[in-house]
Amino acid sequence: MKKQLIELRVNGESFELAVEPQKTLLEVVREDLGLTGAKEACGTGECGACTVLIDGKPILSCLTLAIEAQGKKITTIEGLAKNSDLHPLQKAFIRYGAIQCGYCTSGMILNAKSILDENPKPSRDEILKGLEGNLCRCTGYNKILEAVMAASTGED
Amino acid sequence: MEELSYVGKSVPRKDGVEKATGRALYTVDMVLPGMLWGKILRSPYPHAKILRIDTSRAEKLPGVKAVITGKDTLGIKHGFVETPRYPPDQYPLAMDRVRHIGEEIAAVAAIDEYVAEEALNLIQVDYEELPAVFDPEEAMKPEAPEIHPSHPKVKEPYKNIGGKTESGWGNVEKGFAESYLVREDRFEGQLRTHCYMEPQATLASFDLSGKLNVWTSSQGPFIKRAKLATTLGLPFSNVRVLKAYVGGAYGGKIDLFSHEFCASLLSIEARRPVKIVCTREEVFESARHGQPILVELKTGVKKDGTLVAQQVRVINNSGAYRGSGVVVIFLCWGFVMLCYRIPNLKYEGYSVYTNNPVRAPQRGHGAPNLRFAVESQMDTIAEELGIDPVEIRLKNARQKGDILPNEDSVRNCGLVECIERAAEATRFKEIYGKRKSQEGQRIRRGIGMGVSSYFSGSLIYPNTSAAIVKLNDDGTVSLLTGALDIGQGAETILCQIVAEELGVSMDDIRVVAADTETTPVDIGAWISGGAYVSGNAVKMAASDARRQLFEVAAQKLEANPEDLIAKNREISVKGIPGRSISFTQAVAESITKRRGNPIIGQGHFRTMKDIPAHPSLATTKGRWSDNYAFDAQVAEVEVDMETGQVKLVKATTAHDCGFPINPLLVEGQIDGQVSMAQGHALWEEVLMKKGKTLTTSFLDYKIPCAKDLVESHYIDVITERYEKDAPYRTKEVGEGYVSGMVAAIANAVYDATGVRVKTFPILPEKILMGLKEKGDK
Repeated sequence: MKKQLIELRVNGESFELAVEPQKTLLEVVREDLGLTGAKEACGTGECGACTVLIDGKPILSCLTLAIEAQGKKITTIEGLAKNSDLHPLQKAFIRYGAIQCGYCTSGMILNAKSILDENPKPSRDEILKGLEGNLCRCTGYNKILEAVMAASTGED
Repeated sequence: MEELSYVGKSVPRKDGVEKATGRALYTVDMVLPGMLWGKILRSPYPHAKILRIDTSRAEKLPGVKAVITGKDTLGIKHGFVETPRYPPDQYPLAMDRVRHIGEEIAAVAAIDEYVAEEALNLIQVDYEELPAVFDPEEAMKPEAPEIHPSHPKVKEPYKNIGGKTESGWGNVEKGFAESYLVREDRFEGQLRTHCYMEPQATLASFDLSGKLNVWTSSQGPFIKRAKLATTLGLPFSNVRVLKAYVGGAYGGKIDLFSHEFCASLLSIEARRPVKIVCTREEVFESARHGQPILVELKTGVKKDGTLVAQQVRVINNSGAYRGSGVVVIFLCWGFVMLCYRIPNLKYEGYSVYTNNPVRAPQRGHGAPNLRFAVESQMDTIAEELGIDPVEIRLKNARQKGDILPNEDSVRNCGLVECIERAAEATRFKEIYGKRKSQEGQRIRRGIGMGVSSYFSGSLIYPNTSAAIVKLNDDGTVSLLTGALDIGQGAETILCQIVAEELGVSMDDIRVVAADTETTPVDIGAWISGGAYVSGNAVKMAASDARRQLFEVAAQKLEANPEDLIAKNREISVKGIPGRSISFTQAVAESITKRRGNPIIGQGHFRTMKDIPAHPSLATTKGRWSDNYAFDAQVAEVEVDMETGQVKLVKATTAHDCGFPINPLLVEGQIDGQVSMAQGHALWEEVLMKKGKTLTTSFLDYKIPCAKDLVESHYIDVITERYEKDAPYRTKEVGEGYVSGMVAAIANAVYDATGVRVKTFPILPEKILMGLKEKGDK
């Protein structure tokens, strides 16, 4: 299919790209922009590994066309740390052992960020409900819950 | 005892920042200039002859750079096990026959995935379908279609026997005759699967010097190198397998997979890098799942619950090739005999070929099914005898210092303490057996216990681990290890050991890992020996470096090397405050100022170092492992008596892992296993119909999600310790704790409902059916 010229705003930077209209946002951020933090684990919207934020809301980038994301503020995991200063959630994930293989981590952290942005003091159940679309096979979610709870109390 | 600074501490993982920021590169993320995409054509039939393959149209498609079929290969077979008794039985690409749906027939490399996919559609294959068989007991019958000839050493008139394990001692018939109670039960495991989040993926790049470079999502590079080199007909040294981060494995990425072979051969043919990433659907349909196992269990006990005799018959549905099927039937023997003292045992295990996809180890490799059977029956026996579940386990539990029938010692076994402490922490005896008092309630609670044991490293190629610790003149340390971090935290614990031995900080250590060219050999992250075998190799390398450094420092400090200690980046004379030089200074002293010894410490460690090979898979004779971990796990469940839904509310794991090198990582391993046990016991199942996988997505095959979180408690039973200047003994912690928990869940469901489900998973309908049969509600 013929390529279209699009402009994407990713992590505060603008990119002009020629992409085939059927390309997903996941493919474009990974292949065209080299931002490989977003992962594909299923490609069908079941696992959450491809989660990125669009205007602060978590979306499944494997089910979103890149052309749909024009004019919106896209945040990938690479855009979360300010220079070398990690986001409190990133620090908490490391400190509490919420990362094992790390394949789900990008999506998990971005989704957790959107939960905390919306509700800075979520309950245990609200966090778990919010994260239920992000599959993790390593951790059993216990340490992930602890990390998000810690970040929500302002621990840094 | 000397106080430790790093070992035994909950140090955050070394690769945490890379993973938390999305910088960690997994195989799926790797890109090389000129890279092509590979795709694989798979058999649509469970059993067929291949009459003809025509690839000419695919080859002509613009953008296609290479097409391979079986005749482009050397026709060298491979197998999970490659021994004289069990020679390899699987071609990397089918030659003239396919034996399961999804078997690899041809592969294509093209400029992108779309072209590669299109090229597959242009390959014409003519098949002649053959009769197929899917159930292992059907496949054993004389009239079953033959998938492979039965193993020549198997005497019974069974068909399709890939392997057999026989073992035992005493006289079970006499034992049963003398028993007060004899029970016979049959337990069926289901087909479950790993669900690693990173799909199977490989990037292969054959360079013009004749070297094949491979990045692959695996559990250790050395076994991959060996099997790739053998099947491709290349010298080992012409194949380099390099490190990439691994997005989960759990046993599913160990030996050679065809996509790895295909990416490599396509790269050799096309002289360009080739990447193959399997889709999730492909992983569900064609990759290797766990081992579904049938267990027939006959047990005789005295009136007080003491075991007298046990007869075990295990049948494993190995799929179309041996895979790890002949290992799992050996292991099941081990998982029977480790936990309890059994005076008379008769064991036989059969691995049976069927027209299903090949099977692999999955976390616990047979132990979950085996312990489900033994522990379920143990509770039934206890109830019939009027003994409580804790007492019957204590009565039969392995004791410190026991010598196993294969002459391994469980010298430090902490099982009794595990049982006692798990029972105490959960107030087991108070909570257990309250079914009557809950009658009429819709939600009923139950509690159950399961015990298990797991080995810690054995002798399967490459058997050993080595390490190099290099001191750099700026005071940093480079650790070269062949160990691969698959998420378990291998690099972190190895750095803790280096930091402890050299008195430097975690941040001072750089790791070069899992590269067959630049790092020494390693046993791999798939035989539960990482912390013990790789850890001791690293410990020896670090203490070798320290010894060399102390010689230099001793001269400088005018002291004996034996009087020096290394701590907080300083080398000082014991008991004389102020007499010290910095670590950096001492290293620089050696490298740049005098003599020029750059200080490179070396170490290697092999489990059971004087034993030539692994135990016999046929007879179980021979040493198996140096160390055995033990656990007692308690599950607390809630069962909805109207819907049959089970909720695992609380999991308690009392475990003897020797000692934890990193308690935070150990907790993470336990949580992950509890979660896997929850899915395994309660709902996970790969459904198949006539060799075709029906559950091909995470919607069909549900794994636990955040809402399923289980409250997890840990009790460390410490039986070993870490000391400087001596190898340590520690035990595995990565896969043994699925099995106690699945058994505990089954027993807790029984405690709540009175329904004994003997087939996994314990689905709501099985409970409701059981309640109906009992006339209960």
